[in-house]
Amino acid sequence: MSIASRSIRRERLQGAGLDLALPYLLLAPSVLIALGVLVYPFWDGLRASTKFYRFGKPLREVGLGNYLQLWTDPQFINSLWVTVSFVTLAVAVETVLGLALALFCVREFRGIRLLRTMLIVPMVITPVVVAIVFRLIYASDAGMLTAISEAMGGQPVQILGDPTRAFLALVALDVWEWTPLMFLILLAGLQSLPVEPFEAARVDGAGPWRTFVDHTLPMLRPVIAIAIVLRTIDAFGTFDQVFVLTRGGPGEATRLLSIFGYDTAFKFQETGYAAALFVTMGLIVLALALAAVRLLRRVEAT
Amino acid sequence: MIVRLARAAVVTLILAIVLLPIYWMVSTSLKPNKEITQDGTLYPHAPSFENYTHLFSEKQFGNFLMNSVAVTVVSVVLALVAGSLGAYAIARFRLRFQLERWIGLSLLTLRIVPPVVILIPVYLLMLRLSLLDTWLGLILTYTALNITFCVWMMESFFREIPLDLEEAAMVDGDSRFAAFRRIVLPLAAPGLAATAIFAVIVTFNEFLFALVLTATPRAMTMPRGTATLIGRIDTDWASMSAAGVVGALPIVIFALLVQRHLVRGLTLGAVK
Repeated sequence: MSIASRSIRRERLQGAGLDLALPYLLLAPSVLIALGVLVYPFWDGLRASTKFYRFGKPLREVGLGNYLQLWTDPQFINSLWVTVSFVTLAVAVETVLGLALALFCVREFRGIRLLRTMLIVPMVITPVVVAIVFRLIYASDAGMLTAISEAMGGQPVQILGDPTRAFLALVALDVWEWTPLMFLILLAGLQSLPVEPFEAARVDGAGPWRTFVDHTLPMLRPVIAIAIVLRTIDAFGTFDQVFVLTRGGPGEATRLLSIFGYDTAFKFQETGYAAALFVTMGLIVLALALAAVRLLRRVEAT
Repeated sequence: MIVRLARAAVVTLILAIVLLPIYWMVSTSLKPNKEITQDGTLYPHAPSFENYTHLFSEKQFGNFLMNSVAVTVVSVVLALVAGSLGAYAIARFRLRFQLERWIGLSLLTLRIVPPVVILIPVYLLMLRLSLLDTWLGLILTYTALNITFCVWMMESFFREIPLDLEEAAMVDGDSRFAAFRRIVLPLAAPGLAATAIFAVIVTFNEFLFALVLTATPRAMTMPRGTATLIGRIDTDWASMSAAGVVGALPIVIFALLVQRHLVRGLTLGAVK
């Protein structure tokens, strides 16, 4: 339905008199709550981010000082780098695995229903509990990997004490938790593709690889792009799992922006600096989202 | 034949990757502490539920669960009612200055920004309102976070319902409210279910705001309470694993029961 005809039809539904106030009344509760608990705090956060705090008390105005300080703070640069590499690596692995799994499952076969049901489990389990599950895998004393290694006559396995291994362990957790979501989105995408091009390709004698590259991938591109965008935005805000698994350690190896901001605000009480950090983080995510929307428009246009 | 075998092998591998970590948590929760850290057995040699009874008798885990259920139910219902009404207005009416478009767009923007961005000011707000460590503080926060999502989801469901149906009902003498109740609501029910399920899972699992807004078992939710069990120096693996099992169980059962709606809700936005 075109926009013009829709707006005319909507006016037909719109009555007169008291009825005119109805949509405003319907919107009021949502808007009021959003204003009070989301928009006002956001504004308040902006204000706090221009002040210098000591022990949780605002001392003086510093304008954009906190924002400028961020970019000369090696701890901030480090946590930005950790966040970007975590998100990139995790989302890349999840996309490839999810796509492979979706291609594998697109033809119905026995056992697929069980598989699909089981794949829901990792992504609905409380993230805090997911972190517990993985601490129980990695721990050098109670861990599953250590138990397996010892059962085979080996040594206890050390993972969370080593910076590189701890970082990869965190990526592995995220992959375990979120590959299923990628899989479900891409599977739904695959199942919504038209059949004709594939039949034509089969008639032409194209092999599975050629069919995938020439037909599946181009047609699936918008869905893949959206799945990546959704996951990237979500992964950027990861907090719970890191908080329970490593607390950002060892050293700063897994200290994502969210963890750094939390520590700055609630451990070191530097409220203004932390607020500036979170505002910057929000702007980065919004910029990512905007860029993604533009990219998607172009992808869909071609 | 070979294809079938390969397929079975892949399915088994995936199931193992998904289930083994969970098996290990359950198995750990049934062992006494000594067996967990020193013997490193692959399965509990004398399974007992002692860790679980300890969890409820000593660690107030029952309180955590009750707080979680109460806060989740109230905030999801509030967000669903308010959000659906708002979404209906956006989908069906034209306001002055295209206000409905701007409101819809603003709510979507608020949805995209990670909630951690407003963590500090929400904490300060609840501090000022004396709502720290109360159900009400959590309920307000979760309702707000859910509303942006509910409006966005329900708007797309309402738009799918043809206008003619409502108009026909109103021509036949139904009031607007009656038309909404008799025609729109039943047609939007699957969407409402998908939205509610998603909101329940996200809210029940929420940790970040619970971490800063609650401090005692009076208001601590399940994820928040579970995190307190993780000691700083000595890790109490027995309580931790039992808490993980009890904490995960309600939401996993819930998700498996409503599987079909859940998958639709998860994949809806992306495939459209």
